[in-house]
Amino acid sequence: MAIAGFMIAGPAAEQIFGVQSPWLRSWTMFSAIGLGVIDASFEIRGPDGALVPLDRFAMLGAPRNGRLKWIQNPEELASVIKRLCAVAGQGSDIRVRARLGTRGGWQTIHTDAENACAG
Amino acid sequence: MPAPADAIADWRPAQAVAARFAGWAAGTEGSSRSSALIRIGLAMLFWSRWACELLLYMDQSPAGLFLAANFFVATTLLFIGYHSRLAAVWTGSVGLAMYYYFGFELGREPWTHHHTYLLAVAALLIALTPCDRSYSLDRYLAVTRAERLGISPPAERGNLWGLRLIVVQLSVLYFFAAFDKSNHTFLSGARLEQIFLWFYAGSDYPAGLAWLATTLAFGVVALEYCLALGLPFRATRRYLVLPGLAFHAIIYVTLPVYTFSATMALLYLAYFDADAVDRVIARLQGIGSAATAKGEIS
Repeated sequence: MAIAGFMIAGPAAEQIFGVQSPWLRSWTMFSAIGLGVIDASFEIRGPDGALVPLDRFAMLGAPRNGRLKWIQNPEELASVIKRLCAVAGQGSDIRVRARLGTRGGWQTIHTDAENACAG
Repeated sequence: MPAPADAIADWRPAQAVAARFAGWAAGTEGSSRSSALIRIGLAMLFWSRWACELLLYMDQSPAGLFLAANFFVATTLLFIGYHSRLAAVWTGSVGLAMYYYFGFELGREPWTHHHTYLLAVAALLIALTPCDRSYSLDRYLAVTRAERLGISPPAERGNLWGLRLIVVQLSVLYFFAAFDKSNHTFLSGARLEQIFLWFYAGSDYPAGLAWLATTLAFGVVALEYCLALGLPFRATRRYLVLPGLAFHAIIYVTLPVYTFSATMALLYLAYFDADAVDRVIARLQGIGSAATAKGEIS
């Protein structure tokens, strides 16, 4: 009974009552994996005025399975936007939608309401 | 107000259930073969997870060498089954030392993961089973001794309370894993989407992922609750074993769960009636009655 009680008390203490201790084993597998991941999509305004999907790999000449596949943080996203705007040229209109993975779900960190190259 | 005699009568079913549970939990004797198979499997899983990290040249500090020596001696004894139950305690203690001391105290973060704790605890729990009485050097020596003395060899049986504790551990694990996911963030599919992007898609969200992630999220949580509450019971177990094994197979090939899936699959043996497992083994070896074994594993 004592052993079974310990098995139950560990996760109950942490997951129900919020007690944090390495001596108590909770069963919260993969609870931190994916946090901080960035989902980003890019569009560029064409000569006809319509927004079309922008392939950041093609535009920057980067391999699809290289470092650019994972945009690590908001700072790196800003860097990618800056490089895309530079390649697209002056006066280009690039719209970026991006969100950050958090414990509470997805948090919007960039909307496509404005031209990302305007700033 | 009921008469005292009626009140006592009302308690009788509860007492009967409690007595039946106590009998199941602590008073059941059965074949030692499933315990022995788990013992051997755990030794192999310990090697699979840590042997290459504990080769003697990897950490030549006194603590590292001490850990490696203990690890290899304890797991070898566990595998061959020499002083099996002591070897299980030794192996489990080494596992816990790696988890608590080397993992949390010395900062070897991968050693603090849930799969390492599960392996260590499983080794300690198998020490509470008659895992020494089958498929072991202990068994060989016992049979040899009996032959020398002209007596019948000891029965491959024992008290199975250690297997019951493994069942409790697995149900607790499944229940709290599901409990952890029983929130809007997970059930919306957002956490699965994040995990998928983290390992596979990078920063490009694939079309069609949203509904798939939401569906999978509900499916995973429902399955884990069902496994927690249904696997201990024979009537529901028959419908849950294959989904459970499939679930572990899928996460084994899609996520870095290390030995977790294999450990869980191995520990599923604890759910089955030990004598039924024994009969199936006998049947497979051609020394038992197919009629008695058929349909026992469910």
